[in-house]
Amino acid sequence: MVGLSVGEKHFIQGGIAQDLRSDGRKRLTYRPISVETGVLAQANGSARVKLGGTDVIASVKAELGRPNHLYPDKGKVSIYVDCSPTAAPMFEGRGGEELSAELSAALQRCLLGGRSGAGAGINLSALIVVEGKMCWDLYIDGLVVSSDGNLLDALGAAIKAALSNTGIPKVNVAVGASADEEPEVDISDEEFLQFDTSGVPVIVTLTKVGRHYIADATLEEESQMSSALSVSVDRHGHICGMMKRGGAGLDPSVILDMISVSKHVSDQLIAKLDSEISAAEVDEAES
Amino acid sequence: MAGKSSSIAPTTYSPSPTLKVKKKQQQQQQPIFKDVDWVRPDGRSFQHCRPAFLRTGAVNSASGSAYAEFGNTKVIVSVFGPRESKKAMMFSDIGRLNCNVSYTTFASSIRGQGSEHKEFSSMLHKALEGAVMLESFPKTTVDVFALVLESGGSDLPVVISCASLALADAGIMMFDLVTSVSVSCLGTNLVIDPITEEESYQDGSLMITSMPSRNEVTQLTLSGDWSTPKIHEAMQLCLDACLKLGEIMRSCLREATSAPHE
Amino acid sequence: MEFVSPEGLRLDGRRPMEMRQIRGEVGAVSKADGSAIFEMGNTKVIAAVYGPREVQNRGQQMSDQALVRCEYSMANFSTGDRMRKPKGDRRSIEISLVIRQTMEACIMTHLMPRSQIDIFVQVLQADGGTRSACINAATLALADAGIPMRDLVTSCSAGYLNSTPLLDLNYIEDSAGGPDVTVGILSKLDKVTLLQMDAKLPMDIFENVMQLAVEGCKAIANYIREVLLENTKQLEHRRGI
Repeated sequence: MVGLSVGEKHFIQGGIAQDLRSDGRKRLTYRPISVETGVLAQANGSARVKLGGTDVIASVKAELGRPNHLYPDKGKVSIYVDCSPTAAPMFEGRGGEELSAELSAALQRCLLGGRSGAGAGINLSALIVVEGKMCWDLYIDGLVVSSDGNLLDALGAAIKAALSNTGIPKVNVAVGASADEEPEVDISDEEFLQFDTSGVPVIVTLTKVGRHYIADATLEEESQMSSALSVSVDRHGHICGMMKRGGAGLDPSVILDMISVSKHVSDQLIAKLDSEISAAEVDEAES
Repeated sequence: MAGKSSSIAPTTYSPSPTLKVKKKQQQQQQPIFKDVDWVRPDGRSFQHCRPAFLRTGAVNSASGSAYAEFGNTKVIVSVFGPRESKKAMMFSDIGRLNCNVSYTTFASSIRGQGSEHKEFSSMLHKALEGAVMLESFPKTTVDVFALVLESGGSDLPVVISCASLALADAGIMMFDLVTSVSVSCLGTNLVIDPITEEESYQDGSLMITSMPSRNEVTQLTLSGDWSTPKIHEAMQLCLDACLKLGEIMRSCLREATSAPHE
Repeated sequence: MEFVSPEGLRLDGRRPMEMRQIRGEVGAVSKADGSAIFEMGNTKVIAAVYGPREVQNRGQQMSDQALVRCEYSMANFSTGDRMRKPKGDRRSIEISLVIRQTMEACIMTHLMPRSQIDIFVQVLQADGGTRSACINAATLALADAGIPMRDLVTSCSAGYLNSTPLLDLNYIEDSAGGPDVTVGILSKLDKVTLLQMDAKLPMDIFENVMQLAVEGCKAIANYIREVLLENTKQLEHRRGI
């Protein structure tokens, strides 16, 4: 994939060891993030996030559906990611499917919490219309337009921005319908409910190259990784999901150390992302 | 199949409770989860794993195979190779590992529901690739096919442990046996080796795959809302359980080699 | 259904001969050799070009010309109702083929023998005329990649509803089932490279409708030239020439 010569590899590894990476960043610094919201007119909410050379789009669509009989008081959210061949020729045809499945599973784990819905970044109870009968199904689609490493963090940020941009139509339920009938509803096209996204976590991926770990690795740096740990952290410093990638094993104490570092990094990322999202929304309102 | 067909009683394993865990157990006198007297559906205590039954050599035509039965979870894994890589693949100076996890149509209570676990194959691959000495068989491929006969909860950990046993049976060189254990978080309780019913109500889960004698974690996934002390506790629990499971797997291998050939 | 009101206005408020707002932008994908975004009203597509580079599949290598490949894909969220289509359905394959043939006709493939050029188009929003928008985006992306072309290919559609020829159909007009002519031309050479039509039209009306589509193509070609010129000026400025 990434054709690197021995000299280039040494340069990348040496730079990381000296805390000065090829693009001049320190080990735990992110690339500049830019957020644009409301990019798709047909979706309930959408956002485009650029993280250096990585470019992703997330869209949120809401449809009315039936809640799961195990959890009648909760709505449903599903997350799918697609890797466009525009990002890399290797995603052509079915080539991107494996990565897409991996990213989708990782995002579901990070954002949707446990099976019972506890710890989910999205308040599932807010999606309910009629308990046990009708709820909003949120379909979150991510599209990788351009890939330069650290897709998971970028997708996580894009979904967070898209959710804060999402307006769900207000639904008025006709009163008087009996318990077993399908409830009659009237979907408003003017009133929209804004989404509370303060609980949506951010994902921080720490990539281990040599003895050090770096945040926000580029494609070249990712090719040199031995293993990586993605941690999703919410505003209160709670861990909402975590997964390890890469083949090499990690010592448990290193994992715990990486968790505490990622918590520290996430504080800055959340603050940066929040200001970018609010700036993007101001931009959108003006245009 | 377990116990009846073999002379050895099914071995069970459970991590030794650390100080913190003991405190937890005291809390469990008044469990907060659902009912006041919450007992696990199969009558185990919270830190008690299901009886593990392991056998190598389940499939004759394979170079190595293993059968694992943890409670109701029944898994068969066969390993083929190392054999020549397909011509279309590029030259590689290390071996390739090809993993596939499939479910039988009758694995779960609703027919054909097991197919939703697409990512299991890639997760099995990631759990194993760190342990297998791929440089020992260049230009060749090893296939690992796992079949879940019956899904009874904690499927992936069982598949991973069973696959490493099958690899060992096939004589593929590994740094260490790979063992895997998961923990579910239900209310304030940590429940080890959860069954399907517990998994469907879990608030969070942690799965650790480790190489016990090297003290390395090869795969780790976590979902749900966790605080750092709880992660510490759950990780300790998992790692200790992995260590004990590793011993059982070792004794299973030892038995298989010492048994007289027929 | 009434597609043109008595006042001569279409459903989205346009005149019959009016095109939707078009917008083109070069360099949307930093990793690609050439890329572009092209919008026609609510239709929005991204195109990325990789190459010319070594042929991936040796069997397809040609010793006298370059191999041009194209893949068209639609994002899950591109249509009004969200639907999950498997990749590579028949419609996508057909459009991929149309775009490939159109672009192959304008690329000077004989200058780059034994090499391969990949064109990937991704539909972000579909509101009628995706075929045309994809061709226009691909032209911009190819120009951005610096691939030698005979001329800029541009494409536009026109239809005939309520006895009125209409330029640049949107999704509602497109799905009305009337005749729909998609034309692709090389504007400077004044040659047609793509011509597709659904349904039937009398000969004399067809000529009118096609003429309208050709006019649309020419307008788009002018716009694309402006975008490229502007882009070159900026590059020039950055270099300090």
